[in-house]
Amino acid sequence: MATTACFIIVSRNDIPIYEAEVGSAAKREDAAQLHQFILHAALDIVQDLAWTTSAMYLKAIDRFNDLVVSVYVTAGHTRLMLLHDSRNDDGIKSFFQEVHELYIKILLNPLYLPGSRITSSHFDTKVRALARKYL
Amino acid sequence: MANFLAQFQSIKNSCDHLVIAVEDVSDLWPTIKTGFEERLPFRRACLNNKTRNSVFLEKLPAEFILTTDARLRSRFPQEQSLFWFREPYATVVLVTCEDLEEFKTILKPRLKLIVQNDEREWFIVFVSKAAPNNDQATKSAKKVYAKLEVEFSSKKRERCCKLDLHCPEASFWEDLESKITECIRNTLDRRVQFYEDEIRKLSEQRLLPVWNFCNFFILKESLAFMFEMAHLHEDALREYDELELCYLETVNMSGKQRDFGGVEHGDDQAALLNPGNKPLTQIVQDDSFREFEFRQYLFACQSKLLLKLKRPFEVASRGYSFIISFSKSLALHEKILPFCMREVWVLTACLALINATASQHNGVVPPDVEKEFYRLEGDLYSLCRVKFMRLAYLIGYGTDIERSPVNSASLSMLPWPKPPVWPSVPPDSSSKVLEKEKLILQTVPRVKHFGIERKPLPLEPTVLLREANRRRASLSAGNVFEMFDGHIGSVDGSGPDASIRTSPSQRVRASAMPRTNSSPGNFDNSIDRPMRLAEIYVAAEHALQQTISDADLWKSLSSLEEFEQKYLELTKGAADNYHHSWWKRHGVVLDGEIAAVCFRHGNFDLAAKSYEKVCALHAGEGWQELLAEVLPNLAECQKILNDQAGYLSSCVRLLSLDKGLFLTKEREAFQSEVVRIAHSEMKDPVHLDVSSLITFSGNPGPPLELCDGDPGTLSVTVWSGFPGDITLDSFSLTLMATYNADEGVKALRSSIAIVLKPGRNTITLDLPPQKPGSYVLGVLTGQIGHLRFRSHSFSKGGPADSDDFMSYEKPARPILKVFKPRPLVDLAAVISSALLINEPQWVGIIVRPINYSLKAAVLHIDTGPGLKIEESQVIEMESYADVSQANADIKLGDGAQIGTLDAEKHFERLTLHDGKIDLPDWASDTSSILWIPVCAINDTLTRGSSSDTPQRQSIVDGLRTIALKLEFGVSHNQIFERTLAVHFTDPFYVTTRVTDKCDDGTLLLQVILQSEVKATLTIYDAWLDLQDGFIHTGVGDGRPTSCFFPLVISPGSRAGVLFTIRLGKTNAEDESKAVQPESILNIRYEIYGDRSTGAHLPVAVTSSGPDGSKRDLIFRSAIVLQRPVLDPCLAVGFLPLPSSGLRVGQLVTMKWRVERLKDFEEKIVSQNNDEVLYEVNANSENWMIAGRKRGHASISTKQGSRIVISILCLPLVAGYVRPPQLGLPNVDEANVSCNPSGPHLVCVLPPVLSSSFCVPVDS
Repeated sequence: MATTACFIIVSRNDIPIYEAEVGSAAKREDAAQLHQFILHAALDIVQDLAWTTSAMYLKAIDRFNDLVVSVYVTAGHTRLMLLHDSRNDDGIKSFFQEVHELYIKILLNPLYLPGSRITSSHFDTKVRALARKYL
Repeated sequence: MANFLAQFQSIKNSCDHLVIAVEDVSDLWPTIKTGFEERLPFRRACLNNKTRNSVFLEKLPAEFILTTDARLRSRFPQEQSLFWFREPYATVVLVTCEDLEEFKTILKPRLKLIVQNDEREWFIVFVSKAAPNNDQATKSAKKVYAKLEVEFSSKKRERCCKLDLHCPEASFWEDLESKITECIRNTLDRRVQFYEDEIRKLSEQRLLPVWNFCNFFILKESLAFMFEMAHLHEDALREYDELELCYLETVNMSGKQRDFGGVEHGDDQAALLNPGNKPLTQIVQDDSFREFEFRQYLFACQSKLLLKLKRPFEVASRGYSFIISFSKSLALHEKILPFCMREVWVLTACLALINATASQHNGVVPPDVEKEFYRLEGDLYSLCRVKFMRLAYLIGYGTDIERSPVNSASLSMLPWPKPPVWPSVPPDSSSKVLEKEKLILQTVPRVKHFGIERKPLPLEPTVLLREANRRRASLSAGNVFEMFDGHIGSVDGSGPDASIRTSPSQRVRASAMPRTNSSPGNFDNSIDRPMRLAEIYVAAEHALQQTISDADLWKSLSSLEEFEQKYLELTKGAADNYHHSWWKRHGVVLDGEIAAVCFRHGNFDLAAKSYEKVCALHAGEGWQELLAEVLPNLAECQKILNDQAGYLSSCVRLLSLDKGLFLTKEREAFQSEVVRIAHSEMKDPVHLDVSSLITFSGNPGPPLELCDGDPGTLSVTVWSGFPGDITLDSFSLTLMATYNADEGVKALRSSIAIVLKPGRNTITLDLPPQKPGSYVLGVLTGQIGHLRFRSHSFSKGGPADSDDFMSYEKPARPILKVFKPRPLVDLAAVISSALLINEPQWVGIIVRPINYSLKAAVLHIDTGPGLKIEESQVIEMESYADVSQANADIKLGDGAQIGTLDAEKHFERLTLHDGKIDLPDWASDTSSILWIPVCAINDTLTRGSSSDTPQRQSIVDGLRTIALKLEFGVSHNQIFERTLAVHFTDPFYVTTRVTDKCDDGTLLLQVILQSEVKATLTIYDAWLDLQDGFIHTGVGDGRPTSCFFPLVISPGSRAGVLFTIRLGKTNAEDESKAVQPESILNIRYEIYGDRSTGAHLPVAVTSSGPDGSKRDLIFRSAIVLQRPVLDPCLAVGFLPLPSSGLRVGQLVTMKWRVERLKDFEEKIVSQNNDEVLYEVNANSENWMIAGRKRGHASISTKQGSRIVISILCLPLVAGYVRPPQLGLPNVDEANVSCNPSGPHLVCVLPPVLSSSFCVPVDS
């Protein structure tokens, strides 16, 4: 498992709708904000890269010192962004794909308003389990 | 071969273009030199590149050099092959000869000698000196030239051309150019081939131990340089790229450890754009080059070519990755490099790249490339900026670096420089240390606005104090390996595997190497005790001063002001470039950094503007944690600038952020700021949008439903995001009609102050009557102190504060429905049949609410003329089951109360006050009947009519109206008005008939009583008060035999009473009485009826029922009895009609004969006795009368005089009809004898069938 990993889902309007620190390392209290900052800045790169490929998984798109930003863009332009320090590319890809499925299930919920914050604790548990499994 | 390096470089420096040798056989060069050199540089030359494809060059510079020139002569053959690229690429042989013989004997052998060298590309230029007018000379020159061509040109290749000195042909120069180009092309091809072969040979040996990179380099670069001279930059670039690849492969090969370089003074300044920075001889080591210098050299060559190719973008992009990879290499060798060498190098490299590329960038590139270019520039700037901040931090300017996310993210994840030993304090620097110490003590930690307490974001990966002392302590302990543990466990991304591969022994060697001059040898005195922070700063400053050779850079670090200036410059550069590249997030965040500097310098205006940009970005995208970092700064700026509106809105935004982002105490501080400003004196009224903070929605459930015109109360749920109670001094909410856009909005106001608790509040508002339609909530506005606020958001079901949420635009739920006007109540009369006139009667009014409560309704009753309410009587009210609704078989006729099925029967007596009745509560939802005692008054006596000419009374006479006005609704706002028509009538309709006329003057008078009411009438008595001239027969009062009474008359039936009367004078005592003009029929009767059906017992009778003393009702009717004609004066005779009969549509003349039977003396007084007034009466439905209906006819006063009055009539209907009658109004009826005496009928035939005359059947 990666020591540091921050997972964020960004809606197509650039709003973060789900955040989770999934790293195994002890949390630095300021880390969350820095991670947010890095992922936010990486949106600039995603916006350029997303249209250059038909693949959903954009691989590592940005590097911040030893941290890497990997991004997965769904068809609806929701971006799953992971800031991590591990190099397990296949694991990250699988992680994204499975989270994507979970996200689609959330979308299918008629009470969920697309683009609003995901508050489902079930989703959160599942994502964390996936992170343990793949990252 | 490495020995040739120096020579190689000097050759390279001295020649930068192709050389064309001129073999001047006949001393012609001085004369034609100008002409030749004018052609330089060659235009539109066509050369082959490395892959033998043609390349057209716009410009090919070259130089003509005589073969006798020292530059070409003094070369050794060995050199020639090595530096072949500088040898001439073509040889031009200049000859002239005018004599054929001379050519054969002298010139030809000489030329043969010159051109026999196969290696050279040559051609001959024959210069003709012959003057144009000298035919002889011209001719011989031509001959010689022809001979020359024969000798030297072949079919394959033209090697000769002729230049006429006096009149050069136009095509000559082109010919010359093409020949020179051809030669150059051939030579180039051959030499490329040669170099390639050589390089291939060397490449094959690359893995052998004897292999020498220098040799390979010289060959490769020679080739590259040759391409460069030939302006084939692309090929040259490719060669350099290959060279770099090859170098990187070999340099990292194990077992070939060399010096890295970079320890010389001035090496800290990146030379990645300056190939001539250091001569190659200085960087060569053994058989290869030092990495530090050589990689920069290669990159410099590449970038030079790229700039020549006008590709600054590529320079930047390659440069950026070069800097990154080179920085990693520097990190690997940090142990041997001066303190912070890596940071300084990156800094200078970035700046150099930026300068070089930005000046070359001219914007004539595709937009996406341009975008990418700016992005790279931004990246370079920001890399540069980070390194600069790191250096500044090390020398103690950290307090001036904003601890923002961007700075923290860049710096806190960037490891400290890892010098082998942390620099120690230079001697005699105690004053400097004191100074720094003072600086540290003076800096007050910046207090966040609103008293926000937050752990500041780190700018350092670990605490500098510990890091620096640890690095020193490890040395004092002599633990060599500990010095490296940081290196091995390095997380700086520089590839830990690389350092692991380095064997420990080498590391020891590296560490044992003499340090740079940055670490002075006075270890001992400062090792003893740990350094203080100020000392670390001073030491770092000192060490840096040694490292940095660039005066400008050092100046930027020399003082806080200079630092800030440079910092601003770099930040601005990065931000601007990011903005140009549309990387708004990067750009805006850096704008925030600029703002922080502006803020520190008191330039609040600029700071606020920049902060606003940052806040707008973060707020727009909903990254609240980032927003929470910046927003307080913006608020502070606005506060200082006294921008109340902005400050308030910032406070509101702070309050509307996620609750977890701030402590309750902080949030309360925000609120108190809002309240404080709201209640302070404001210059201009501030309007504040609090949509994110105060939200509202209607209550869940169905909307409030109101009938048109009804007021109501609307209950609204308001959520307050304020952490504490907040008092709204006024509050109003608009309603918007959903269907009707132009209806405008209605505001509901609450004038009293409302205190909103945090969270959910329910507020009730009075709702004035609204127009029909359905309404949604619009905008909430209100005032806190002098502050006007408004809120647009409707609900807090989801994340209401995000844009995304709004974009889904939940259909606003209607909160209020006002129905279209509809009948809410109905008032109707209970009965349709007539009531008794002149008697107090109950009029029933059904009050039927239609799904609407009549609570507290008031009924105004206003009777029309001829009708009055019996005030003395109470009004009765009872519940009423609608027959149509109940669908029950209620017997109407039996007098039972209607609605017996209704279990709950209400009955109540009410009184009338000022014409108003308050309806009881039980009647608010159910139908009820109101019984009102009324009395219709008709002063005129009813008149009976003769059965011969029945003249029914007009129905209008009995009609009375009751105007009703019902006020109901919550505030009596609903008004229902109706005027009811009630029909009143007499109980009987009387007709009379004289049934028989006896001889003795006794008349049998039949009085026919027709019941007019739907009630049973019982007649107890009947008598007749006769008019003058008639008396009852017998002695009695003329009553009918009493044994017939009581006579019961069912509704609608008829009864007759027979009276016997006779003509005669009443006796004397009666004469005193006034002469009655008509007889009066009196009937004493009783009525039994149901008030719900029609006429019934009068109210008073009913009320006095129990005591038994019934007051019988008396009906009186006037009857006109006509006395027979006793004294006829005039006779009117109806003359017979024509025998053909009458037909509809046929004119007929009606004639009457009037005859004077006798003079009547009574009428003598009349002046115009000889005239009678006549009048023709006819039913206008049956007859149309032409001519005068009324007029005077003159008739002589003599007895027996007669006249005939004729009138033209037109019958209109067929059948037996009464003909027109002639009347004489001036003459008493008793004096006129008529024939026929009574009414009679004539027969009118239907019209003759005719096409021209049709009467519509309907009419």
